[in-house]
Amino acid sequence: MKKKKIGTVWLGGCSGCHMSLLDIDERILEVVKLADIVKCPIVDQKEFPQVDVALVEGSVTSDEHLHELLHVRKQATCLVALGDCAVTANVTGMRNYLKKEEVLNYAYVEAASNDKEGKMPQHPALLKLHEKVVPLQEVVHVDYVIPGCPPSADTIFYVLAELLNDRVPNLEQERKLKYG
Amino acid sequence: MAKIPVTIDDKPLEVETGRTILEACKENGIEILTMCHLEGIGDVGACRLCLVEIEGINKLLPACTTKVAANQVIKTKTERLKKYQRITTELFFAERNHICAVCVADGNCELQDLGYKVGMDHVRFPYLFPQANVDTSHPMYVMDHNRCIMCTRCVRVCSEVEGAHNWGIKNRGIEVRVISDFDTPWGDSTTCTSCSKCVNVCPTGALWPKTVVQGQLVKQPKMVSELVAKRKMNL
Repeated sequence: MKKKKIGTVWLGGCSGCHMSLLDIDERILEVVKLADIVKCPIVDQKEFPQVDVALVEGSVTSDEHLHELLHVRKQATCLVALGDCAVTANVTGMRNYLKKEEVLNYAYVEAASNDKEGKMPQHPALLKLHEKVVPLQEVVHVDYVIPGCPPSADTIFYVLAELLNDRVPNLEQERKLKYG
Repeated sequence: MAKIPVTIDDKPLEVETGRTILEACKENGIEILTMCHLEGIGDVGACRLCLVEIEGINKLLPACTTKVAANQVIKTKTERLKKYQRITTELFFAERNHICAVCVADGNCELQDLGYKVGMDHVRFPYLFPQANVDTSHPMYVMDHNRCIMCTRCVRVCSEVEGAHNWGIKNRGIEVRVISDFDTPWGDSTTCTSCSKCVNVCPTGALWPKTVVQGQLVKQPKMVSELVAKRKMNL
């Protein structure tokens, strides 16, 4: 069997899901027997390459995330939404009840740590926040989801092992569903 | 009490007249998903999870408020019902802001358990993200409307068991909200006795005591069921 390729990406999330991925510990040796991890947040490569399995952590909060997600969708045979933010918007979606301006203002201008000198960042290279944060499935077709904040290492390993062995994971049957 | 014959899930049964379909199922070990139902308080058929198919009737009927009738042929586990149960569960999650990661009830929540039971790995409907308030005015308890699923257990336990009538309901559709007295802060209530019955019967983290933090909430909904049963004994 030809060795598969895995890529992971971190959008609007806290990196907790990637930490949980690292928590599979020595089982990562099982994973690299079946696949190469060709892209992740610590791989120094600009473009997300073509992969068989893409693990996407986090929600879509800005133009940069949207652009990246659309690109990953084109590059990946199987796109997996990793964690509650990717599946439900979760904590990142809590700003959806407020106006974007209110949120930015609170973070950059009104926050006590700004000593009343806070300014709204305006640099053109910065990403532009969307008005609403949405989970992945509202933007692209998602092939598989792993809910959980973060999903447990066991669950992530189970899903990876199934996908890399050309099987379809079934979290419900395995009693591995977890939110929060 | 007279018994009548009914068939539930292909099982021929003898059920006492006046029983609801839900009671008949429970007595005979047939599991039915419920959310708004709680032993000891009246049923209203609010959550639509206990819908069953009855032969000869076009629409689905809630098991908790439908009484058994002679020779009924009832089905509780068809693919159609399972499909609707999943949809209903997803709509609970999509309608308000259920963020398990920061919720006091995380790991001890009837809504979470329901999601696992119906195999909900994600919600197929767009989230509404409504602006819902958190009422912290009561000295001991909090009402977080973000996490309320409108099962109305609190409303019913307050009027039927405690007799305080503090909780009520305003508006309809997605604007519907549980209110204290005449839509005033809970802390200003002149009817609330701070008995905590509503807090204990609430299936989610919508009602909780200020003494707990994330994931620490333990509720005792059966406390109300037991209290009602003991009151009926006329000791």
